Amino acid sequence: MDRTDKPWTALYDTDVRAEIDGPQFRTIGDFISATADTYGDLPAFTTCLPNGMNGTLTFAQADEMSDALAVYLREVAGLSTGDRVAIQVPNCLAYPVMAMAIFKAGCVLVNVNPLYTAEEMAKQFADAEPSAILIVDMFADKLVEAMHGHPIPNVIVTRVAEFMPALPKWIVGLVQKYWDKSVKPITLPHIRLPDAIVAGRTKHAELHNAVDGYRRDVSPDDVACLQYTGGTTGVSKGAMLTHSNLLMNMEQTMELIKSLERGKEVALTALPLYHVFAFTVNFLGFYSIGARNILIPNPRPLTSMKRAFENYKITWLSGVNTLFNGLCNEVWFLDTPPKHLKFASAGGMALQGAVAARWEEVTGKPVVEGYGLTESSPVLTFNPLGKSRANSIGVPVPSTDVRCVDEDGADVPVGEVGELIAKGPQIMKGYWKKPEETEKTIQNGWLLTGDIAVMEPDGYFRIVDRKKDMILVSGFNVYPNEIEDMLAAHPGVNEVAVIGVPDGASGEAVKAFIVKQDDTLTVDAVRSYCKEHLTAYKVPKQVEFRDELPKSNVGKILRKDLRAEEDAKTKVKEQA
Amino acid sequence: MVGAFEQALLALMIFVIMLGMGASLTPRDFYLALRRPYGLAIGVISQYGFMPFIGFLLITLLPLAEAIAIGVLIMACMPGGTTSNIFTYFSKGNLALSVLMTVTSTVFGVLLIPIILVFYSAALDLEIPRENIIATLVLLLVPVAIGMVMRRLNANVGAVTEFFGSLLALFFIVFLMVSWVPRNWQFLMTTTSATYIAAIGLGLVGITIGYLFARGLRLHPRNARTVALETGIQNGPLAVAIIAFTFSGTEAQSYMAVPVLYSLFIVIVSTLVTLVFRRANTAAEQAMPDGLL
Repeated sequence: MDRTDKPWTALYDTDVRAEIDGPQFRTIGDFISATADTYGDLPAFTTCLPNGMNGTLTFAQADEMSDALAVYLREVAGLSTGDRVAIQVPNCLAYPVMAMAIFKAGCVLVNVNPLYTAEEMAKQFADAEPSAILIVDMFADKLVEAMHGHPIPNVIVTRVAEFMPALPKWIVGLVQKYWDKSVKPITLPHIRLPDAIVAGRTKHAELHNAVDGYRRDVSPDDVACLQYTGGTTGVSKGAMLTHSNLLMNMEQTMELIKSLERGKEVALTALPLYHVFAFTVNFLGFYSIGARNILIPNPRPLTSMKRAFENYKITWLSGVNTLFNGLCNEVWFLDTPPKHLKFASAGGMALQGAVAARWEEVTGKPVVEGYGLTESSPVLTFNPLGKSRANSIGVPVPSTDVRCVDEDGADVPVGEVGELIAKGPQIMKGYWKKPEETEKTIQNGWLLTGDIAVMEPDGYFRIVDRKKDMILVSGFNVYPNEIEDMLAAHPGVNEVAVIGVPDGASGEAVKAFIVKQDDTLTVDAVRSYCKEHLTAYKVPKQVEFRDELPKSNVGKILRKDLRAEEDAKTKVKEQA
Repeated sequence: MVGAFEQALLALMIFVIMLGMGASLTPRDFYLALRRPYGLAIGVISQYGFMPFIGFLLITLLPLAEAIAIGVLIMACMPGGTTSNIFTYFSKGNLALSVLMTVTSTVFGVLLIPIILVFYSAALDLEIPRENIIATLVLLLVPVAIGMVMRRLNANVGAVTEFFGSLLALFFIVFLMVSWVPRNWQFLMTTTSATYIAAIGLGLVGITIGYLFARGLRLHPRNARTVALETGIQNGPLAVAIIAFTFSGTEAQSYMAVPVLYSLFIVIVSTLVTLVFRRANTAAEQAMPDGLL
């Protein structure tokens, strides 16, 4: 070893524990109930729509509703410990209630991106085999096709305006039905979320203390979430995050932002909760300190968040580079930046130095960058408050060891590049039903991140490059293989290669290089074909037709050569 | 041409609409507009500089009867109307600026309208009824203030009021069109084309000039769209009231022709302009990637 052990602990504030013995609670269900007892009547979650219509649940209300829903899952839907339950909703009040209910019922939460196409949903369902799903009415029409491989017996349907007061809920319902026509009829047998809660409540009254009993058999090392990710190898797989993983990562992260005041913070959650960063930090972390979470169902266009900024005293905001950059380009945000903001945190993708500087200039408050992977629940490193360093992912969170190693797994000298590997209580149990993939990713207890990083002498880390070909579009991993496979199936396509190119708005954008089979193939045709089969963020933003693609001597298409060409073009542009 | 019941109904509708508008505002919006009085100054200049001049040009260029010409001039000298706030709201302009401009031009109007009228027509001897102007101000500001308080007390009540206010505003615009046209059919049929051109041209040219002027002075497009609507949309009901209070009999009826025609067509013109502005506004939205934000 070329360094003293964990030199970064010297950067922690004096009241920060360098090692956290273990989570304060056995399971997430215990944590939720105990926290609700502490903060009772304080507002816990608020949905804020673009026009300012809103709904709020207190800690006590969310706790009671999730108790009833847990009873519904176990007694009415007939689920048992360890059964998977999917949630496919945008940020709204239904999300926390359902997530809490799943943990209380001793079941396993499977987060599903609501924007997924039926094809993508089907793949995830087939792998996770959920016994129940909570889905938002806007996307429920995709279920019929998505359940061909694995039928889900219990379908619970919710809506964005769920648990809002009657009049605004009614108005939102009318607007969705007749104005944007975003809600389509649901043909599958299903139950509405409020009805499920009522059914559970009735049953709950008959049984005594049933809810606590559901998680008695659950141990801290049991799986709490199957969090799907392409990981570093590109095949979509479920990271098994245990109760202990998530509770520890929540504590590790909150330990570094101790200056927050219990029961007084207001966090703006524009990041989708199904993303692991928002899940652990916003949902669990801010819940743990009695904060109010303002849930934004859809932050696009960014003006949709104007009312939330006007109506609530936002003290904390987490987001990705794209969000911070976008807000700094909005006139209304520049005119009245949030006055009560303490800090903002960035994750999901590299925070550009220029964006961080501009944010601080506009709001007067820093945006601190963290780093992590789905496989690490997700936070591995974070910039210590007040000692934030530009272009750095900060220092490892407590109880976490991070090293940079060479190809043979030996430490590289401080200041030199190596693959970042990490060890800690937040590292996942493994990939769901994929032991070979787990073995490739976790070796001797160390998580191989596939990211190339440098450690500076004082313990700050800096990401140099991502390993290989993965494309990061607005914080989402896009795997060229998947898009290439899909495009290759198009009759007009002969050969295809997909790479990531720098993009101002999303960090990286997908670019497809295509050798035509059919001369009449157009860029629009390619893109609309992709839109049919892929979630929007995976659809190539740029399409270029070529006569041939660069290949190795064994005929493998060389993405790296295409990337080099693109890099050269960018450099020429920059020089001009 | 405009009955008492109709006026009372209009007043009530405007009250509810302005309540909804107020619910969409916060004190910060007004603070911002006041902190940058540039936009306000531009508004006053285009309201009392350009509009009367456009009216003067129309009178000079078009073969208009004397009574019609007086109507055009009075119309051109009016302050901004509350309908401009409605259209600014729907065109996603700067509503606080619009409300402030309406108020400012009304306040300045007490002083400026007589001066400009005298300037453009030395022969015209008009008395400006102050109580009407004050009534307009109250009608405008009281509900706006109530709406703002409602939103502050409860964001949901504010949002619901805003929603119904805007629905009523749409209804109001349709109501204006379908109620006035049939009852004034005979009048519409006998009016000369020059009068039509003057009545339509005043608003259309005003909006165009207002926009170009504001853009020329590098106002943000959103504020320029607000100034454009504010400039072109005059307070029609005030003109009708002023004429009704000042003149009588057939004289009043013939002076009123232009304000009535103007009020009818400005609704149509502004609706079309609003559609264009909305499209421009959507096109200017930052393109955000579909995935994670």
